Amino acid sequence: MKQKLAIFLGFCFILVSFRSANDALFKIPQNFPKPVYDFTKNPLTENKVQLGRALFYDPLLSRDNTISCASCHSQFSAFTHVDHALSHGIDDKIGFRNSPALMNLAWQQTFMRDGSINHLDMQALAPISNAVEMDENITNVVSKLQSSVLYKNLFQKAFGDTVITGEHTLKAISQFMLTLVSSNSKYDSVMRKQAVFSSQENKGYVLFKKNCGSCHTEPLFTNDAFKNNGLTTDTSLMDFGRYSVTRKAADSLAFKVPTLRNIEFSYPYMHDGRFKNLNQVLKHYTHGIEHSKTLAKELRKPIQLSSNEKVDLIAFLLTLTDKSFLFNPNFFYPKEIFSGKAKD
Amino acid sequence: MKNAKVFLIAFFLLTFQVVFAQKSSILLKISPTFAGNSFNLTNQAFETKDTTGLRIDVLKFYISNLRFYQNSKIVLEEKNRFHLIDAAHQKSMEIAIESTQKIDFNAIKFDIGIDSATNVSGALGGDLDPTKGMYWTWQSGYINFKIEGTSNLCTSRNHEFQYHLGGYMQPNYALQTVSLPVKNTETVVLNFDIKAFLQQVNLAKTSHIMSPSIQAVSLAKVVAHSFTVIEN
Repeated sequence: MKQKLAIFLGFCFILVSFRSANDALFKIPQNFPKPVYDFTKNPLTENKVQLGRALFYDPLLSRDNTISCASCHSQFSAFTHVDHALSHGIDDKIGFRNSPALMNLAWQQTFMRDGSINHLDMQALAPISNAVEMDENITNVVSKLQSSVLYKNLFQKAFGDTVITGEHTLKAISQFMLTLVSSNSKYDSVMRKQAVFSSQENKGYVLFKKNCGSCHTEPLFTNDAFKNNGLTTDTSLMDFGRYSVTRKAADSLAFKVPTLRNIEFSYPYMHDGRFKNLNQVLKHYTHGIEHSKTLAKELRKPIQLSSNEKVDLIAFLLTLTDKSFLFNPNFFYPKEIFSGKAKD
Repeated sequence: MKNAKVFLIAFFLLTFQVVFAQKSSILLKISPTFAGNSFNLTNQAFETKDTTGLRIDVLKFYISNLRFYQNSKIVLEEKNRFHLIDAAHQKSMEIAIESTQKIDFNAIKFDIGIDSATNVSGALGGDLDPTKGMYWTWQSGYINFKIEGTSNLCTSRNHEFQYHLGGYMQPNYALQTVSLPVKNTETVVLNFDIKAFLQQVNLAKTSHIMSPSIQAVSLAKVVAHSFTVIEN
């Protein structure tokens, strides 16, 4: 009987410790919906997240070991490419789009501005292989990792196997990206009744709900859908967005609705980074909408905002800044992991 | 205590099953052929001596969800198993299917490629690992079937042709099911006839298919029709 009790308690302990370990790495914030990502197929562990973090910051992923994920996704700009309309990659080659900010990825169904990637695990393959981003391929990446003592150890710790696979590499990168949760902005504190909006922010919030909230739905500030938001087509890019994936006429010029969280730091804006600041963005929505067959129905009626209202709206948008995310040391360059590298 | 008894009985029954059941194994051999002659790409490309100057450098495809039938009734199936067949790797050309008991069958069915659900399941291992070169990177999705080579019939640069057939979303869902009558033997030899396939393909007109499309789907159908069973 005693033995049975001990086994039972041991089992409970394993369950509890497993849960708390997971919670420390990823917790669904209050008011957030259920994540899309299936964590049962890739349960987070500290060692896997740390391996993913090393991979995210390691230029080994590129053909000539110069470009890492972080090259175009720096933390202080909410993991986008600050100040670059179109991101540049290997050999200073200019890309096709503005790199998206990375946060709350566990709630995203598809990835990329056109949703061409169907699962977070598969996302990294695109920049690794793109000729103007990293110009490498996953098979080579795995063989480079396999010949590194550092990574052999990290994979051993994470997956209990020194044989490195594409599957494990991609899953580890996912693990780190899944931990990039931003949910501690002033907006969140207000929603949790731990703070209050200023009267200007509050006016802005009302305007936001009326004019923007149907696509930039709370609390993620995106509905994860594809919409044509009335941008004039850039003829030097001829980017038709979602259409290139589905080949459906109705998807022409539709792009993923981006989150507005941390928008203060994720400039420039739009899929091609054409707007440098939020004033330009609001001016587009009030005066710049180009009408076409595929224009989002939400934008068919003109949005009217006075210049004072625009100031109020921007004041609200700035409450979406989450400093605890932008400066979270858990997401920093992993010096402590790489410092051992010289010994390889 | 009662639970323990039930467990013991279950354990005993299971052991009995394992020891006394008639296990059997069926070997499925895949053999690429050209006009009846089988070949592989283990050490070198396959070339014909005729005027078309055909050369095959790469031939890789997935066989998945193998099912064995006896008079239209399913008697054995491999659920969620995906086999990457690579003409350059002899070992990949043989699939052993284990059965817990001896079965009689007179037909097989299998899919060429990867089903939709698996295509949206994230990173997978084994034959589905993206390092196997059968996964698109710029747009998610598995390549179901890959053939690359050259032919004098091609008007493309260096007379090259490359067909990467795949697509997991309608209307470009490229997965194809092949059904074939077979003899009830321990080894089933499946023949993929390159000549039959290429006769249905207009090499002069289309030398490259690299993304999901209606054209890719129709070519995938040609692939499916190019399988036959070699009678011993």
